Amino acid sequence: MLKLLKIEWLKLRHYRTFWVLGILYLVSVFAAGYIGYRIEQETVAKSAELKMIAGTAFTFPDVWQSVSWLSTLLVFMPALLIITFVTNEFVYKTHRQNIIDGWSRMQFISVKIVLVILLSVLATIAVLITAFIIGMLGDRMFSWEDSHYILYFFIQSLSYNGVALLFAILLKRTGLALGLFLAYAYFLENLIGNLLDWKLEARPGAYLPLNSTDKLIPFPFIKNVTKQMKILEGPDYTTLLILAAVYLGLYFYFTIRKFRTEDL
Amino acid sequence: MSILSVQQLSKNYGSIQALKNVSFEVPKGSVFGILGPNGSGKTTLLGIVMDVLKASNGGIKLFGEQPSEKHRQQIGTLLETPNFYHYLSAVNNLKIAASIKGRGEGDIERVLETVNLHQRRNSRFSTYSLGMKQRLAIASCLLGDPHVMVFDEPTNGLDPVGIAEIRQLIKKLHKEGKTIIMASHLLDEVEKVCTHVAILQKGTLIADGHVDEILINEDIAEISAANNESLLRAVEHFPGASHVKIQDQHVDIYFPNGLASLEEVNRYCFEKGITLNHLRLRKKSLETKFFELTKNN
Repeated sequence: MLKLLKIEWLKLRHYRTFWVLGILYLVSVFAAGYIGYRIEQETVAKSAELKMIAGTAFTFPDVWQSVSWLSTLLVFMPALLIITFVTNEFVYKTHRQNIIDGWSRMQFISVKIVLVILLSVLATIAVLITAFIIGMLGDRMFSWEDSHYILYFFIQSLSYNGVALLFAILLKRTGLALGLFLAYAYFLENLIGNLLDWKLEARPGAYLPLNSTDKLIPFPFIKNVTKQMKILEGPDYTTLLILAAVYLGLYFYFTIRKFRTEDL
Repeated sequence: MSILSVQQLSKNYGSIQALKNVSFEVPKGSVFGILGPNGSGKTTLLGIVMDVLKASNGGIKLFGEQPSEKHRQQIGTLLETPNFYHYLSAVNNLKIAASIKGRGEGDIERVLETVNLHQRRNSRFSTYSLGMKQRLAIASCLLGDPHVMVFDEPTNGLDPVGIAEIRQLIKKLHKEGKTIIMASHLLDEVEKVCTHVAILQKGTLIADGHVDEILINEDIAEISAANNESLLRAVEHFPGASHVKIQDQHVDIYFPNGLASLEEVNRYCFEKGITLNHLRLRKKSLETKFFELTKNN
């Protein structure tokens, strides 16, 4: 696998979109966290009453949740990279050439899946470091408490990236895959979810593929208020994590099946 | 042992049958031409050999075994169009191909020199002309000096000089003992470089065998007598004939194009005391047929 990854790196190393989106992502994650922190410093931190109501979201341990939640707003960026990178193979027909030159179909598709996992890990490390730095800016002692939200971020990122890979393999054309992915992730799934909730007693909308991982990290701000109002009952993590695992298994299964059986 | 053995291969695209029960063998050391007009199934056939397309029926064997990626690594293949990463240079593209084939990077300089791309080796693929792309694809085939090569329309997009160079290259590779499988719609090209040929038309194999037997570019006097064995001995040294052989019920005397004279053959035999019961002139029948087929498409 290491050998396969080295070859993927040869493809990525000079790929401009990789660097542009990668750097943009790193900057955005840090900027989102830092801006949040500054806003809190300028408002909440200056008034005792506000502090009572809102709590401080950018100090340990809440900073893990806050930075993770803000970063999930940027989770589409690595997904876009995956879509352009993988559909490029189809556009240039290099997926055929890789097979012709001596990769098995399984090797081609499995290294893409490993790449998806690796990119999710890297995206998560960026969030981890950002949360750590911003936490250290605050006045409370460092603590690993609540850092499991970083793991939830990883699962959410992996889930988006897995869907991105599936869309790329199914649709093959860059524009089509990008458009449909964004439409699905940010609009269609919510629409379908709301329709299902409206029509069905069981209200299954929240358990659709991306919705279910969106629920992993709850809204982190004005916690004291949300707790009082009981808007935010903690989600059922066991169900959500099992669902995430099942969905990920399905994305990868269909990705592999499609690539192994079709005419390239 | 056959390098490639195609066994009752069929391929359907929906209701369209791109290949119909095609079988043939590619012997080791041959330059094997797959000849057919556009859309006759040449690329489909090679795509199945290379596992980028799935056969609907039948199968293939490479080196006498069930095909796998290990076999493909030992074959230099150019299929349909040159497929490279547009944003990478020639050298970086070849690095990817070389690592997939499990070969070192040491060969890259040599193959780029062979196809005259060495000067432009660091230019991005997207800046290449069609002919340069084609030459890079051929360079990629040569990586690691494989014993078997597959070229699909190798002279596509090349200028006349480039075409001549590629033909020279193929002949040189053949002399080194390599097996080359080449698809082409150009009869002339196949005739000039191939030792064997298979002719495809609308997915059906209409002929295959040694190129001299299939693409006859000679006049043939087809004769027979009561005893063909003695007839063969009698005409063995017929003046002007290139060679003679027994073919089914006839003896065939081969002449260079346009030089056969049936009167002389008849007289010669009569003078040797043999009376012919059959005398006929045959001309490159399949070539004519092939051109007719090509025109219809």
